[in-house]
Amino acid sequence: MNAYRLDSSEKKREPIEFYFNNKKLSGYDGEPIAVSLLANGIQTIRTCEVTGEGRGVFCGIGHCYECRAEVDGVANVRTCLTPNHQGTKVISPRSFTIRETLNDDS
Amino acid sequence: MIVDVVIIGAGPSGLSAAIEVAQHGLTAAVIDEYYRPGGRLLGQHYEDPNAPPDDKVWDGKKVADELARKAEDLGVHLFTNVTAWSVSGKWKVELTGASVKSVEAKAMLLATGSIEKALPLPGWTLPGTISIGAAQTFTNLHHIAVGKKVMIVGVDPLSLSVMMEMKNTGIDVVGMVLPPDTPAIGHGHSPARTLERLSDVAGLAPNPLLRTVGKFSLTRFPRLVAHALRFNFLKVNGVPLQLRKVATEIEGNGKVEGITLQSVTIDGKITGEPEHVEVDTVCLSAGLYPMVDLAQTAGCPMVDVPELGGTVPLHGPDMSTPVEGLYVAGNITGIEGAKVTIAQGQLAGISMLASFGKSGSLSVQEAKENVNKARDISPLRFMPDIEKGRLKMEEIWKEEGVYERRNHLQV
Ligand SMILES: Cc1cc2nc3c(=O)[nH]c(=O)nc-3n(C[C@H](O)[C@H](O)[C@H](O)COP(=O)(O)OP(=O)(O)OC[C@H]3O[C@@H](n4cnc5c(N)ncnc54)[C@H](O)[C@@H]3O)c2cc1C
Ligand code: FES
Repeated sequence: MNAYRLDSSEKKREPIEFYFNNKKLSGYDGEPIAVSLLANGIQTIRTCEVTGEGRGVFCGIGHCYECRAEVDGVANVRTCLTPNHQGTKVISPRSFTIRETLNDDS
Repeated sequence: MIVDVVIIGAGPSGLSAAIEVAQHGLTAAVIDEYYRPGGRLLGQHYEDPNAPPDDKVWDGKKVADELARKAEDLGVHLFTNVTAWSVSGKWKVELTGASVKSVEAKAMLLATGSIEKALPLPGWTLPGTISIGAAQTFTNLHHIAVGKKVMIVGVDPLSLSVMMEMKNTGIDVVGMVLPPDTPAIGHGHSPARTLERLSDVAGLAPNPLLRTVGKFSLTRFPRLVAHALRFNFLKVNGVPLQLRKVATEIEGNGKVEGITLQSVTIDGKITGEPEHVEVDTVCLSAGLYPMVDLAQTAGCPMVDVPELGGTVPLHGPDMSTPVEGLYVAGNITGIEGAKVTIAQGQLAGISMLASFGKSGSLSVQEAKENVNKARDISPLRFMPDIEKGRLKMEEIWKEEGVYERRNHLQV
């Protein structure tokens, strides 16, 4: 389904659509959000609060907090640990403009 | 929620302990912050040459699922996606993200596993730089290619096994090089030192490596081999193992686009001109160390035993600590492979049962022997002198553990 998926032995998974900074993407239900993002070739999840540089997954298992994002309105969620679902809205922290447009929509 | 035993960490050691205590009449809760149980088992997938012929492939995910199902069938409360923030009293564990706010228990087992050491190369925060553990998890658990062109920095049993897994799934791993010698990274990664440590991977699949350089010479004369590796580079699974090159910088504009390499002497001193290689992903591997934060919070004295992987909670051969009702098992006590941690979990479970006046499926002594047996057949050794480290801890325990325990009881 996505360019970066390897042959998967875990078939029978539920395809979903979710949003990253307002953009509609596809993934599988129950896989960590960071996995769905990487499957879509997205490595940069947020920008560093201090330097403004991009940051993405580093440890992949919840230790480093580099993969934080706002998920369905909850700030600082570790996307590498958090399962994705149909309609989940993921926003890079600091993307204030994006969040405002989202709120306008709803 | 009130249970007899609360266990933090649903890796192989935590789950095995939960199964043991639940099988013999205690109630237990296991807490894990990942979204599914299994800990680092979940990323493991490789051939085990020491295993019986019909059991050659070690599929960690399958082992994890079996352990978790068994625990749940026995009535163990398994909380996932739940972080244990703090422990206090004897014992109260504060949770976030769970249906219950805290778990109280008479005995607590810390089975929080290990963490990867950082490898702070210039440019290591660029998106596209990930830890070798992340590469393992994404490849084997999530079936995601971490990149299209991947360079691995750090040559050790773990990075070699992850390299082979990535190659097997068709990912283009362009090479493996060493970390540089810098104040932030330390001096432990020179070609000579790396070869010394590699002499112990004989069990695992990098047999091509051992065939090429010869097991004997690798074990006895790492410096000689490091010399011999000057010009030709060796290939393992078709991936160049550049043991005389270090990565000095990761480059890119907003994301990884390349990496700078330099040749080094066998002692890690830089020689010659820098060389640029285009890659879109860099995996860093610097080794593992025990995750001990909660043991410190719980008031357990710490001991530094380099042979075990760093600072570990003071503990006895039965996995008890000087703090009454506090037990430890798995990688928190020293870095070892999954089979060892399963045996350690059972041992900790049996010790906890004994503290409740109950007996388990084996005696403490038998369970201890099982840990040693598991070590002997383990395909992956992380710490070359692990046995020495374990003995050291036993000595320290004899000298200080009993004394510390008396002190704790008086408080
Ligand atoms: C990156 C990496 C790769 C490895 N690869 C291999 C391999 O290929 N083969 C091998 O034999 N061994 C490997 N190991 C060694 C591995 O640690 C052992 O195999 C085994 O998994 C250790 O078991 P454990 O029960 O001690 O801890 P782990 O399996 O690490 O499990 C610990 C669990 O505790 C949880 N946890 C920690 N702190 C908290 C908290 N505060 N709140 C809630 N949950 C918490 C974690 O989420 C984790 O699930 C690897 C280790 C690492 C770090
Ligand atoms: S990538 Fe490290 S916490 Fe998510």
